[in-house]
Amino acid sequence: MTVLEEKIPPATERTTPARPVRRIIPLIALAAVLALLAAAPYLVTVTTILSLEQVAAFAVFAVAANLLIGQAGLVSFGQGVFFGLGAYTVTLGWEHAGLSFWEGFALAPVLGAAAAALIGLVALRARTLYFALITLAFSQLFYQLVEQNTGFTGGANGVFAPVVPAWMLSPVDGYLTLLAIAVAALAVLRWLYKSNFGLLLRASRENRARVQALGTNVYRLYLLAFTVSGAFCSLAGAMFVVYNQGSNAELFDWTTSGQAVLMSVIGGMYTFAGPVVGAFVYQFGHDWLVRFVSDWQLVLGGVLLLVVLLRPDGLAGALRLSSLRNRTRGRR
Amino acid sequence: MTTPLLTIRGLTRDFGGFRAVDGVDLDVAPGAIHSVIGPNGAGKSTLFSLITGERRPSAGSVHFAGHDLTGRAPHAVTRAGLAKAFQTTSIFPRLTVRESVCAALLARNRQSRLLRSRTGPAVRTEAETICASLGLADHIDLPGSVLSHGDQRALEVALALATAPRLLLLDEPTAGMSPFETRRVVDQITGLAKERGLTVLFSEHDLDTVFAISDEVTVMHQGRVLAHGPAAEVRADDEVMAVYLGSEPTP
Repeated sequence: MTVLEEKIPPATERTTPARPVRRIIPLIALAAVLALLAAAPYLVTVTTILSLEQVAAFAVFAVAANLLIGQAGLVSFGQGVFFGLGAYTVTLGWEHAGLSFWEGFALAPVLGAAAAALIGLVALRARTLYFALITLAFSQLFYQLVEQNTGFTGGANGVFAPVVPAWMLSPVDGYLTLLAIAVAALAVLRWLYKSNFGLLLRASRENRARVQALGTNVYRLYLLAFTVSGAFCSLAGAMFVVYNQGSNAELFDWTTSGQAVLMSVIGGMYTFAGPVVGAFVYQFGHDWLVRFVSDWQLVLGGVLLLVVLLRPDGLAGALRLSSLRNRTRGRR
Repeated sequence: MTTPLLTIRGLTRDFGGFRAVDGVDLDVAPGAIHSVIGPNGAGKSTLFSLITGERRPSAGSVHFAGHDLTGRAPHAVTRAGLAKAFQTTSIFPRLTVRESVCAALLARNRQSRLLRSRTGPAVRTEAETICASLGLADHIDLPGSVLSHGDQRALEVALALATAPRLLLLDEPTAGMSPFETRRVVDQITGLAKERGLTVLFSEHDLDTVFAISDEVTVMHQGRVLAHGPAAEVRADDEVMAVYLGSEPTP
């Protein structure tokens, strides 16, 4: 007992001076990464820029999906519905309603939120595996609807049209625009993760019955989270149109939803940055692997298996843990 | 007698053909420490879960401070001012003690107030006060899963207290504790009850504890109320002691 007590430092004296430093280091790292990303057009090839366009959209998609998966503990295999809805809002808005790109872009999160609220009302009645299956079913339902209604949606071919404004048609301009939108969207999501709302979501993930007993209607809390997630997934889908120059039915498919889950798990679903890291690793891992192997999903499966077995908290979780370890070592 | 804070009439719960709680009547006076005792399977935990809304009663009624809480959802019961600490520890394993208590403080709020960025200083100070009053101040930044069993039980009580209840339900708060830890938790609970003017309804195995701190005692057996009265009276009831509890309390 006494030995232990001696080792504990007087809390106020030693931790206070260390704290500002600890806060500044991640900020500097973040600024460095952002500067690198902004300078990317001068540093890398056009192929890489096009990959980065996809990463920008998928980072927002994965973080928005992870609000459910990692924070609330709701494993949804249906976030592709909202991703597809966002993309089609832009393209079909242009084709059928004469909306400009930015009008469609602004409408996408609104429609995403509305659709999510309706789907959430039904899907959130179920728990765990059944919730995952219901969201999966919605995903396939939308996929079929879009594919069958060829007259309105273009069917399996999708809608490819000059919807993106001419000034952002070049990869560099498109990329820089998407980067700016992604940073803004992620800043809002970060704030949500850190809010009291985020804390209650994490508490519900840990122990739903307890949060219920403490006075919160968890169903309504989850419905709010599902709606917010749907809005941002839809925004990400609208962003994807800039890269894709159109929309196709596959965006609704459960494999799109699955990508968000994979990115979250690989990057680390208990951290905010995890899904962003996951989006980078997934995209560039894919770009690199397809040069050597045709069955790149096989490698992806292997990586996923390793992460789940060795580091269930993902790559970002591993990083955070090692920095924690260093911190405790430094204190002794 | 003053108007009871909690009034239960004819409360009954069937599980298939088995009647776990059978027509229980119970009055809890405001400010009292009221114990429910009885052997395993007497229906104590089921009775508590009927009061908190975790289970719906098959028949009967629950009234609390003028509200009819019969069959209401758990969050509605909590908002009425009735909180429960669980028998099997029910905490948030990956959240720190501070986060857990903050979450509990926030859980009573309406959803619209949740979209405030970080937990305000007032909430954090209140969380620290609650933690300190239950001897958790040293562990405030540790995740719940690494606490000792006794500290997890204390956190369990802290979560219930954070909802600012008028009536605190404690379902075997000292289950699985050493005599030393039991003493600590019991002292803290009675201290808090006095300090905050709480009414406490709790179930307990340890008879010494029960008779040391209770004002009123209700004895349950096979889902029914067997005896009820002031602690001293129930304790003197040799029949209750000998036949249904199988042990004599040490004086």
